[in-house]
Amino acid sequence: MGSTRTRRKNGQQTAIAYHERLEKSDLLEIYRRLWFARIFDEALYDAKKKGRLRRGNVYGSRGQEAIQVGTTYPLRPDDFVSPIHRDMPVFVFRGMTPEQVMCQIWGKANAPTRGKDSWSHMGDMSLGIVHSTSMLGSTIAVACGVLWAQRLDGRRDRVLVAYTGEGATATGPFHEGLNFAAVHKLPLIVVVENNQYAYSTPVELEVPTETVADRAKGYGIPGYCIDGNDVLEVYNTTCAALEHARAGNGPVLIECVTYRLQGHADHDETRARQYRPVEEIELWEKRDPLPRYRQYLLKTGLFSEAELPEPPPDIVEQIQKAIEYAISSPDPEPHTALEDIYDESAGVSR
Amino acid sequence: MREVTFLEAIRLAMWEEMERDPNVFVIGEDIGRMGGAFGVTSGFFEHFGEDRVIDSPISETAIIAVAVGAAAAGKRGIAEMQFIDFISYGFDQVVNVAGTWLYRSGGKTPIPIVVRGPSGGYVGGSLYHSQQFEAWFFHTPGVKVVQPAFPDDAYGLMKAAIRDNNPVVFYEHKYLYRRIKGAIPDASEDYIVRLGEARIRRYGSDITVVTYGAMVHFALEAAQRLEKEGISLEVIDLRTIKPLDMETILESVCKTSKVLIVYEAPKTGGVGAEISARITEQAFEWLDAPIVRVAAKDAFVPFAEPLEKFVLPSVDDIVFAARELAAY
Repeated sequence: MGSTRTRRKNGQQTAIAYHERLEKSDLLEIYRRLWFARIFDEALYDAKKKGRLRRGNVYGSRGQEAIQVGTTYPLRPDDFVSPIHRDMPVFVFRGMTPEQVMCQIWGKANAPTRGKDSWSHMGDMSLGIVHSTSMLGSTIAVACGVLWAQRLDGRRDRVLVAYTGEGATATGPFHEGLNFAAVHKLPLIVVVENNQYAYSTPVELEVPTETVADRAKGYGIPGYCIDGNDVLEVYNTTCAALEHARAGNGPVLIECVTYRLQGHADHDETRARQYRPVEEIELWEKRDPLPRYRQYLLKTGLFSEAELPEPPPDIVEQIQKAIEYAISSPDPEPHTALEDIYDESAGVSR
Repeated sequence: MREVTFLEAIRLAMWEEMERDPNVFVIGEDIGRMGGAFGVTSGFFEHFGEDRVIDSPISETAIIAVAVGAAAAGKRGIAEMQFIDFISYGFDQVVNVAGTWLYRSGGKTPIPIVVRGPSGGYVGGSLYHSQQFEAWFFHTPGVKVVQPAFPDDAYGLMKAAIRDNNPVVFYEHKYLYRRIKGAIPDASEDYIVRLGEARIRRYGSDITVVTYGAMVHFALEAAQRLEKEGISLEVIDLRTIKPLDMETILESVCKTSKVLIVYEAPKTGGVGAEISARITEQAFEWLDAPIVRVAAKDAFVPFAEPLEKFVLPSVDDIVFAARELAAY
């Protein structure tokens, strides 16, 4: 438990147990969302393995579900998120349909990007989902602009949750964005999913400080280092960060310590067992956020075993239906590759 | 009409657009309380307030990113690069974020931004305050590139760029800022110059000169000198570099059958290379001579006067090249 990559938490913690205010139905919904994320991941790996998904990679998030669920559950409908490649369920939690997300992954004509891009490079500003690119870190700076637009509209209380990895905290845009947000007190919450590896590079070769949250000190903002596999701790910390940001006190950095149980993507499974010690993987398998949360629910006495199926069969069916829908959806027409490069609707160009 | 400098024309265009549309805002280094390194946003902070005239930290990435993110949320940001050379810091924001956003949103989220700043040499600015890297963005899908040469065009093009729904990189040649004066229409005329339209600044019959930016003035001076020798130049000011107005270029080429392309950037891989290629593809049979390019040497823009003069194109270079071409 002593090495950097096995540590759990040692940063600033929130003392308030916001989750105690949750209703039984909320607790169950959180359980179901964790499972949605898990099944989503498993179904895509399965589709890739069986050759049903023939193009593009699958970026797994097994073991990181508590972050996706815990950071989105306390948001208001008018808040913003900018998910990255290991946050695919966040698109659904924020209002996209599983069908839309699957069509995006399959590159279909009816996908949000119309087949132009795949996986997480999509968004929907009407749902408050900000499009990200492959250059992680970049979105942190872009988020400042989305929030500045709210400032101009007199909506300083709308918060943006920007996801990134521990590796991307080494990029320039991460620094410029967080610095700008802190200088101008923008309501930005940066969630660093510290899953210990940026592709093959371990966290100690990306971040020189003891925790990623320590970086917050450089911006004079709160930095939390929390157990990213404990959905309620993630939830509570997000609630605290939201209060801070909405009150006009500026950005917050939340480091969710977790572990990437899979390879960087599905093509990386063999090598990922070489550049990571097996004991480390085994240790983190035991910290799986799903059984942990289930045990908590059972201990509350509010739920029977039967109320907490593993997995909930209707969610399995929902995701499978979305995959079938995507597979049977039409491919884009080749000529549409040249559409949406410019928008000439303003009429100031010939 | 108002008689103004090139710089004042740009300043007025931005001012009037900010008056017209509350969604327009400006962001950059030293642009608010100080009014900008060159004074292009002088008076803006006092008039429009700190939310619409943002003094940014030294963060070119964030400056462009704020304009981009706000544009995705319905605003129209103008990002000032204190010198356009510094856009290299924000390259990813222009190319990979702003340029692609409409595409990866299925056509739903346009990014109406202007990234503007002083460019070009001839002022002893040396390596990092003299560059003309318009070719970087000329090569980028989803982005438009503008470089005016006269106050009326600077005024009308800036207004069009602000109203355009796409990312526009706007090059303002600092050599022209205070040297060039001219009349611009009154604010009430709502004058714009549509993007993508070249303008023939001088009609001629022997050689078509295709150029933009400060080189337009060099070409016009060369044309005046050559007139006395009986050589007639037609000078096309592109004004918008991307999208390129090939129609105007080809029409002129068919008339003169000889082409001289003048640009201030390093010759290799410059905008002139593409123009030359397109002319040979589309009007080869109209040509009476090989297409000639006058451009900077493939070097950096050095500091010492003799070095800078050696690297950058001059009026003499244009005159000599045109004479040879006329004699071909």
